[in-house]
This record gives sequence, C-alpha cells and structure tokens, in this order.
Amino acid sequence: MEEPDAEPPLTVRAGAAGPLRRTAPGRPSPHVASSPPPPAPFPQVLPGADPARTQLCFAWGPAEMLLCETLFGRRGGERRRAPGGSAGPAGCGAAGGGDGAAGAARVFVVRGDRDVYVETLRKLFNESHGIFVGLQRCEEERAARARNAQLVQVSKNYRSVIRACMEDMHQAAISTRDSALQSQYSIQVSILSAMELIWNLCEILFVEAAPAGPLLLRLLDWVQLHICDVDNMVREVLSSENPSKHKLFWNVVDIFVLQGRMDEARHLLSKEAIANPTSMNMYKILDDLMKKMPVPSLGNTQTLTEMELKWQHWHEECQRYLQDGTFASNSHMESICKILLGDENAILEKKELMTTWYHFLVTRLLYSHPTVKPMELRFYAQSSMDMFLGEESSPEPLDTILMAAFEFELHQVIKECSVALSNWWFVAHLTDLLDHCKLLQSHNLYFGSNMREFLLLEYASGLFSHHSLWQLGVDYFDHCPEYGRVYLELHIERIPLNTEQKALKVLRICEQRQMHEQVRSICKIMAMKALRNNRLGSALSWSIRAKDAAFATLISDRFLKDYCERGCFSDLDLIDNLGPSMLLSDRLTFLGKYREFHRLYGEKRFSEAARLLLMLMTAHIAPCSFWMTLLTDALPLLEQKEVIFSAEQTYELMRCLEDLTAGKLDRQKFQDDDVETMKVEMLRLALARNLARVIVKEGTLEGS
Amino acid sequence: MVSVINTVDTSHEDMIHDAQMDYYGTRLATCSSDRSVKIFDVRNGGQILIADLRGHEGPVWQVAWAHPMYGNILASCSYDRKVIIWKEENGTWEKTYEYTGHDSSVNSVCWAPHNYGLILACGSSDGAISLLSYTGDGQWEVKKISNAHTIGCNAVSWAPAVVPGSLIEQPSGQKPNYIKRFASGGCDNLVKIWKEEDGQWKEEQKLEAHSDWVRDVAWAPSIGLPTSTIASCSQDGRVFIWTCDDASGNSWSPKLLHKFNDVVWHVSWSITANILAVSGGDNKVTLWKESVDGLWACISDVNKGQGGVSAVTEGQQNEQ
Repeated sequence: MEEPDAEPPLTVRAGAAGPLRRTAPGRPSPHVASSPPPPAPFPQVLPGADPARTQLCFAWGPAEMLLCETLFGRRGGERRRAPGGSAGPAGCGAAGGGDGAAGAARVFVVRGDRDVYVETLRKLFNESHGIFVGLQRCEEERAARARNAQLVQVSKNYRSVIRACMEDMHQAAISTRDSALQSQYSIQVSILSAMELIWNLCEILFVEAAPAGPLLLRLLDWVQLHICDVDNMVREVLSSENPSKHKLFWNVVDIFVLQGRMDEARHLLSKEAIANPTSMNMYKILDDLMKKMPVPSLGNTQTLTEMELKWQHWHEECQRYLQDGTFASNSHMESICKILLGDENAILEKKELMTTWYHFLVTRLLYSHPTVKPMELRFYAQSSMDMFLGEESSPEPLDTILMAAFEFELHQVIKECSVALSNWWFVAHLTDLLDHCKLLQSHNLYFGSNMREFLLLEYASGLFSHHSLWQLGVDYFDHCPEYGRVYLELHIERIPLNTEQKALKVLRICEQRQMHEQVRSICKIMAMKALRNNRLGSALSWSIRAKDAAFATLISDRFLKDYCERGCFSDLDLIDNLGPSMLLSDRLTFLGKYREFHRLYGEKRFSEAARLLLMLMTAHIAPCSFWMTLLTDALPLLEQKEVIFSAEQTYELMRCLEDLTAGKLDRQKFQDDDVETMKVEMLRLALARNLARVIVKEGTLEGS
Repeated sequence: MVSVINTVDTSHEDMIHDAQMDYYGTRLATCSSDRSVKIFDVRNGGQILIADLRGHEGPVWQVAWAHPMYGNILASCSYDRKVIIWKEENGTWEKTYEYTGHDSSVNSVCWAPHNYGLILACGSSDGAISLLSYTGDGQWEVKKISNAHTIGCNAVSWAPAVVPGSLIEQPSGQKPNYIKRFASGGCDNLVKIWKEEDGQWKEEQKLEAHSDWVRDVAWAPSIGLPTSTIASCSQDGRVFIWTCDDASGNSWSPKLLHKFNDVVWHVSWSITANILAVSGGDNKVTLWKESVDGLWACISDVNKGQGGVSAVTEGQQNEQ
C-alpha cells in the first residue's frame, strides 16, 4: 500500500543545514518508478486537521490553494451505501443539526513556492531575469569558440548573481537578532552555496566543456573555491607567530598539497626547514619535487602527450625517492610524497581535511591522472565516492546531483535538482543555458527542448503569484514558443487591478502582444469598477477602450440622467474630445452631439446650435425619452430677439412636438401632469410666435 | 513545499461545504450547513468578514464567483432548492436574484465563460439543469433542461470559450459565434456534454465509464491545443480523464487516472490545467500531473511535478 514514511522531498526545516547536505540516512532514491503514489501533502500540512473525522474540500485560487474540513456525505441525495464507506449519514443531513463540527470551521489558504516572497532572493530573481533576457536576445556568435566564450560568460554572470545573493543573505543572517530568522537565512545561504557549486561544475563540464588538460585545472579551481571548511584553520596557522610550531601546521601543509596549491605549500615548508635544520635535505628534495610537478597548461605550450611523458618521468622520480627511504624519518613529509604519488590510502587518511568525496576525486586525479578526459570522469567519480563514503554513509541529494554531472547525465542532473530544490529558479535558468549550448537535443531526453520550456513555464507561473515579480514572468513566457502565450493569457487575467496605473501596465503588455481578448476583458473590468465608484468619466473611457457598446450606452444614459438632474455635465473634457469613438454606440453619439449643442450655444453660435438640435431629433439620434428635454432646450433659442429657426425648421420642431405628445400612451397621466402640460403649452406658443416672425422675415425682401 | 499561509476562522456554526477564492485571490466566499454564505477579505494574510449572507433555508452546497467584469457577483445553491445570486452594490452585498424553479436540492452551480455573457448553470437532484442568463436591468432569463440525468444531477462544468474559425479581432459590437458547451455528471452514472444549438440546449454526448453515481465533473481550461479534457469522479472510486481530439467534439476516450479505495467527491483543475486536484473519501487530497509520455502521476509536492514523480504503472492504470 503506502510506502513507509518517505520524507517529502527535501523541505526546508529549521535546524537543518540545508536540504542538499543533510537528510535522514537511508532515504529512498527519488527515481524509483514503480512504487505506489507517495503520500499527498494534504492533510499532513494542515494543523489540527483530523483525517479520521473529516474529509478535505479543495479549491484552486489563482495563486494559492484552499482546503477546508468537511463531510461530503451530507451532500447529494439519498444514497444508501454499504456500511464501512465514508459517505456519512445516508441522504442529506437535516438542515442544520451540527455534529459539533463548529470548531473545524476553518479554511486553510495554502501556497507552495514561498521563495518568491523571500525579500533577499528578490535580487536573484531580478538580476537573473536580466541575464536570461539578454541571453535570448543576444546575437549568436558564429564562430564556435566565440560562441562558447559568450555562453561561459553568461554562466559566470549567473553565478556571480548567486554569490551576491549569498553575501546579502549572509549579512542578513549575522545582523539579525531573531534566531529563527537567522537560522532561516543560514539555510538559504547553504542552499545558494550548493546551487553555485553545482552550477559551477556544470559550467566546467557542459558549458565550457573543458577538454582534458584544462579540465583538471578547472576542477582544482572549483574545489579550492568551494571547500571553505578549512579556511579558518589555514588562517589560524598562517597568522600565528611561529607557524611551524603550530599544532595544525602539517594539516595546513597537507591541505595545500591536497588542493594542488604547490606554491603555498612550499612556502610553509620553507618555514619548517628553517626551524628544523636537520630536515633540510629532505625538505630540499621535497621542495624540488613539488616545484617540478608537471601540470596541464592552459595555453598551447605543450600537447597532452608531452605533458603525460613529463609527468611519467616525474612520477618515477618521486617513486624512487620514496623507495629509497629519503623521507623515512619524517612521517609528514613521507605522507606528502605518497600523496604526490597518488597513493589512495595516503590521500584517504586526510579525509577530514578534504571533507568531501569530490575533493578526494580531484586530488586523486591531480596526482594519478592529470590528463583525465571528460568521459573518463565517471569511473573516477563513482569509485571516489565509494571509497570516501565507505560503509557508514550513503549519498545525499547533493552527491547524487554531482555524480550525475560527472557522468554527463544531463537529464538526471536536472531531474535531481528539480526534486531537491524548493523552487524552479535554478533548474529553469540552468536548463535554458544548456539548451542554448545545444546540449539538450543531442542527449536522448524524451523532452528534448520541451524540458526547457516546461521548466520556464513552471518558474514563470510561480512569479505571477507575486504582486510585482509577475512582470519578470512576462518575459519568460515570451520566450516559450509553444505554450508561453497561452500561459501568459491565463495568468495575466488574474493580476489584481488595484490601481489604474497597474491596469494600464497590464494593458500595455497585452496590447503589445495583440492579446485582444484580454485587453477587452481588462477594460471592461475597469469600466465596471469605475462605474461602481461613480466615476462616470473613467468608466466611459474604459468602455470606449474596451469597444463595449452596451456599456458605453449604459454610461451615456447615466451621464444624461445626471444632466437632467443637475443641469450640467461632468467630465466635459472627456465628452468634448470623444472624436470618432463617439460612434461606438448611438447613445454615446447622442451624448457627444448633445454636449456639442451646449457648447455651440455657449459660444453663441445659435444657428449652428439650432441646426444640430433639430438634427438630433429628426435623425433619431436622440432617444425619444430625451425629446422633451431637447425641445425645452430649444425654448431659449426660440425666444431670442433674433430669429434663429427658419420656417422649415420651425415646422419640423412642431412636428416633433406633436409626435411626442401624440406618442405618449399614457395620455391621461400626461394631461394630469401640470408641469408637463405647461411646458408643452409654452413650446407651442413659442413655436407659433417664431413661425410668425420667421414668415415675416423670410417674406420681407432685402432692403425693402 | 507547501505551507499554510493563512487560516481563516469562518465562525460558521456548522460544516463548511465549499470555499472559493474570487478571480484575483483577494476575497474568499464560504458556505455551510448553517445556511449562510460568508465573504471575507483575505488580502495580505488577513481575514476580514465583509458579508454574512442569509437567505437560504437549508445547507448551502456550493458558491461560485462571476467574472469581475460583471461586478462583484456570487452565486450559491442549496438543499432548499434555491439558487441565489448575490451582488455587491454600493459597498454592501445583497440578494439580486433568486431562482426557485427546482424541485429538489440544487447541488452545483457554475458560471459560464465571461465571453458568453453572465450565465449560470445549475444542477439539481430533481434531475434538471437550469441555465440562468442575465438579460439586463435586473432581469434573468431561464432555460431548463428537464431530465438531464435520471435521479439527479450532481455537477456542472463549462467548457472554456474557444472562438471557432479565425482568430482575427471582431469588429466592435459584433459578437463572435461561440459554440457553448458544458458537461454534467449525474446519478445515472453518466457524464453528459450539452451544446447550445439555435438557442436550445441539446445533449451532444453521453460518456459512459463509471459504474456508480458521478459526483463531480471538471472541464479543463484551454491551453490552446485542439484537444478538450474533462475529469470525472464517482461513487465507484474512479477518476477518469476524458479527452477529445477533434474540434467537432465527437470522439471522447477515457483514461483511468486511478482507482481509489473510497468515493471520490471532487475534482478540479489548476488555472493552467497542468494539475488536477482530487478529493477523496479516503480523507486526502491528491494532486496529479500528466507526464510527457501520457501517464498520470501523483505528485507529493504541489510545486514539483518532474522529479518527485512516481508514475502510475501500466498495471495499476488498466485496473478496472
């Protein structure tokens, strides 16, 4: 049935040195395929949830998950079930009738990937985003070597971002008094350090693809950079008054030798020689051997074969001195000579100074096979790990990852990292880089380049749950050719549009990508929001932008209603400058034109105003409900000293008035409404008077 | 890893039956056997009660948020045979519509994709499915599919909106021709797919695979592929993933996700449809992801799906 308590993959727990370096021994390997499904995270993570009593109801939120305790059996009809099932009481529970469940009326909001919310990682996300985008957009160098250099530089940039973040995190750890926080930061530092370790190795093996020769040098650098456990010891000895008398002196010499730091070792040894003249001879020989040791060169000053030959001679020389008993009287120096000869036992004796199997590996290679080829690494790696760990320990996740790298199993590296690390940042960026190195295709992965996209999608999706990091996510989706666009569409809709500014930002992103549906949707949402807050102008401009005719009509009606109630318009600027968007809806057009009428009147351009007013009715732009208002607006024009409406226009107006009064169904009511009746009478009177005047005017000949 | 970032104490006086976040994750709606629907503001890890809505006369089974472009609207359905639509107006939540046309408990409500307008599908123990469409000015039009499932309908779920034909922008004012579909699950052990044709709802497909009542159906969001995917779960302990490859929606084929030891009550898809959550009678919620070779695998960490996966073996999969 269920497998015995497998720990959930490497969760960060307070007190742990970090998920990659220390877990319970005997943890089963994560890639065993045929066992039953591992235990679900729910309800384990829910405090106080009692799986014996209640079931869990689940819902997806846009960025989080909801869980609550419930009993499903209550719902869904009279269902008789055999006892033993958990359907609960057959049939729906009686209304109310609690089963004492009140205490469990909680909803848990759960989220994965909290790393997105860690402040100190913010820099990591931001800066790596810049590197990522730069990589996607940069011009690919044509020459292979130049391209290689380009990619190595990108890799180094990523690593320096990790290191900068580590430094910040470290500073945060030492400057806080809160011990929980401190421990959290320390764990983060160790995770970042492990990430940098892995990335560095991948850079050497995959990105740079260092060939035999330089490979060893790079690995030596790698070890020197990352095995810091001994730094304190070194410092202590070096800074003491009499280093050669320090009890840890030989340890430090050994460390230098093990890490191939020959000059430093020789320097220390010279102090010993001065302090101990009797060993001068031995020292001279050892010093000479160390000085002469052939190492691979980075330049092309010698071929591998040449180097191997030299090395063989040197090795034999060392052998001779050892066998002659030259160092017999000084066990330390003898041990060093054995190390120089690549004696595994001698090297293994210094286990405590090397601290890791991969240090042991590199030391072995340095002293037994410095011209190791990349493809040969796997054999040495496996045996080194076995020899170093021995019987008592088993590999930890970090070890498995590094081993996979030494074996050039890219897919395995990525998979193991995905499991071990708590967010997708690392694998997404590393895989993308490897993809650019064209490494994912040449390997027989069943994902191929889809692996890259899969990881980027997961990473970017995680960013979208954050209130500002989501903007970074956009660029990642942009560079996912298959599903990036649709993922962006689905995620961008869920960004809360708290402020107009944010909405505009989101809109701009959608518009740039011709995501018309989303643009429309966002504009509609903003229009609705504005309307609910009575910001009619804002609502109108949003609905115009959304090309939402129905909403524009609704809002125009509100404007007109407001005008009728208050006698003035709000948001004049907007209405005055509608331009062609006026045509979005009839009501909107009317609103715009009606406002124009008022403007013309205000500018005393009466005949134009009159013409417009009439047109609004005769062209049926104005809704019937508004005609009374329009006719009332005509009154002041009719009562001007100067005659404005022509005879024909006056007849039109009269017709409109008659249509209006005839059209009123509720004639009884209309006649009873005194105000209305009075208005109609006034209008009739004014129209008649105007007609009289205009007939006279038009009938009068000019000048007579 | 997953962690609890907020625990909302709802103060419901009886069992909670549903909890749903709104579109943006800023508000939480819950409903309970205590007949109330509550709404909380849950921004920034807080929990402020915004509304305590009373109106149902029986346990409330489900709540559903409408798309924000229609305002703040929430639907709820209950044992009392009613569907109530609540709306926030001027800062307060009120009942805006009540539908009482069902003869029995209404078990499930689901809003249609916003592109279709404001339409709510409701499934009831009286076997009928009703579709409530907002026509404007506070008016709702009702269409009913009687006898959609014999004995009762337990779940409804809409298909995502996909514009047929070309995807060029429609001129303003013109509504694109959407083909509206939704899926339902019932006590006749069937999953049915319904399609609207000429303003009428017709049964388009009958999906048979379960041997007992279908408790929930969930149509997966679209990620642009021509395939459609539906998840269904049942009293028989099985969860099926149905896929249809062609656009005409004719041939659906089921794949057994897993057979659980107890009733499976609830299935739901994440917003990018890459994870399926299954709530079982075995008192657990499990999360499932499809791997590249088409096998469905349970993931123990909600974030991971790649590494920590152990694939369901062929043997387990074909088990009936």
